[in-house]
Amino acid sequence: MSGGVYGGDEVGALVFDIGSFSTRAGYAGEDCPKADFPTSLGVLVEEEGGGEMGAEQEKATGRTFYLDTNALHVPRAGVELFSPLKNGMIEDWEAFQAILDHTYCKHIKSEPSLHPVLMSEAPWNTRAKREKLTELMFEHYNIPAFFLCKTAVLTAFANGRATGLVLDSGATHTTAIPVHDGYVLQQGIVKSPLAGDFITMQCRELFQEMNIDITPPYMIAAKEPVREGAPPNWTKKDKLPPVTKSWHTFMCNEVIQDFQASVLQVSDSPYDEQVAAQMPTVHYEMPSGYTTDYGAERLRIPEGLFDPSNVKGLSGNTMLGVGHVVTTSIGMCDIDIRPGLYGSVIVTGGNTLLQGFTERLNRELSQKAPPSMRLKLIASNSSMERRFSPWIGGSILASLGTFQQMWISKQEYEEGGKQSVERKCP
Amino acid sequence: MASGVTVNDEVIKVFNDMKVRKSSSSDEVKKRKKAVLFCLSEDKKKIIVEEGKQILVGDIGESVDDPYACFVKLLPLNDCRYGLYDATYETKESKKEDLVFIFWAPEGAPLKSKMIYASSKDAIKKKFTGIKHEWQVNGLDDIQDRSTLADKLGGNVVVSLEGRPL
Repeated sequence: MSGGVYGGDEVGALVFDIGSFSTRAGYAGEDCPKADFPTSLGVLVEEEGGGEMGAEQEKATGRTFYLDTNALHVPRAGVELFSPLKNGMIEDWEAFQAILDHTYCKHIKSEPSLHPVLMSEAPWNTRAKREKLTELMFEHYNIPAFFLCKTAVLTAFANGRATGLVLDSGATHTTAIPVHDGYVLQQGIVKSPLAGDFITMQCRELFQEMNIDITPPYMIAAKEPVREGAPPNWTKKDKLPPVTKSWHTFMCNEVIQDFQASVLQVSDSPYDEQVAAQMPTVHYEMPSGYTTDYGAERLRIPEGLFDPSNVKGLSGNTMLGVGHVVTTSIGMCDIDIRPGLYGSVIVTGGNTLLQGFTERLNRELSQKAPPSMRLKLIASNSSMERRFSPWIGGSILASLGTFQQMWISKQEYEEGGKQSVERKCP
Repeated sequence: MASGVTVNDEVIKVFNDMKVRKSSSSDEVKKRKKAVLFCLSEDKKKIIVEEGKQILVGDIGESVDDPYACFVKLLPLNDCRYGLYDATYETKESKKEDLVFIFWAPEGAPLKSKMIYASSKDAIKKKFTGIKHEWQVNGLDDIQDRSTLADKLGGNVVVSLEGRPL
């Protein structure tokens, strides 16, 4: 190799996996990320430049950021909540930097210039954004070496596959990404907005219909136990600052997300009113103390993921259910590789942890796939692997001694510029 | 994307010996490899020939009855491997021989091993120039039935494999 090989053998590389919902970061070679916090952050736009004391981040543009689980949950007047990512790609670079700064300072507790960085990226990330990120990491953070990896490839590898179809259902999107011989087949990527956030929205409507108030914990000073179905009896914290709507909505969504994880279940066959009516009910207590049982709703709400035709508020049949996302994606790939894709459908992403998700998908695919195809669904039983698979894959890869020759070294960047990323990380 | 793992020259030699058919004496034929496994070296830097994990043509009919079944038994259930298998099969028209490159990554293998073998597969495959059949196998149920290999070799035109009807 030319002099471009990054030299330090023993200094730990860092792995960042920044998704629409949460940010994962930690040292390569470890089993799970050191940091795992919401990617969304709070932002306060200063009017007269008079900064608030104790703010997390201050920028020349007069924006103050509040991030990570603790700071994010403190109610503050005028703090809006937003995500620096859009469609899985970096949109607001200043806020993105705030996330990196915070991770280095509070979780990694080390200098960026000491550690090579491997970062995951959306498989559809654009060239301009990849180059801008490379530039940012070398110029601003002065890192010694950099590598960008597509999430789907990391997930496929971590499941022992160089070829397979990665079905990633996260917060904002459900995506099918065909991977062949370790490369993403761009023309076969299929996306649908029916994912975790969609389920949250459906739950929100359910609560409205049922006249259940969603009260996030930040508002509650005290509560009394009440009998089932009775109005909750809680007292509001006094002196709450006037919070923004976006921040309040985020806090409500967190309540709903817990409900999603505890109560919902995907029906193993297409939704049937009568079957659903016999569903064992589940008892759930809201932070306000309100309790009630949920029965048919448990199945009805997630049904939209697989069969969007009956979902209220969706325009016609324009959206693809999860099964269709998979078959459409495979159908767009070369006929010779389709058996390899059907034979390795890898299920990943936080939304796939909904009870019954993989069973239903398996059923739908066995009906939709051509009968000659051997179908196999791969879903790790460990929820950690399902949520963190790109991170874990990156962690193993970046810790390999042989991977050193793969990095874009600082020297290579200086000689070849930000375009090096296209060459070294295709 | 690749791991940077390299391929030992010995691996390439084994491949070439299996691929190129020189006219040779029957003694030499017996020493030819029918099947072989490759693994990662201890330091995880190179792909090497796994010692003792091979079937010679001369073993067939001697210590080995059915080379395919024997090959499947060589595969470890708790780790990944690469393999070459020299398949003999018949279609309605003719007898054929083809080399098959196998990437074995069972569900029971450690995640780290899956990651390294999957990300290094390209490196070894690139060295196997002209290989026609590549097969990713992720468990015994993908491979133990010989018809799955027959499918790979030529779909439904294959009538027998290793002299045994399907």
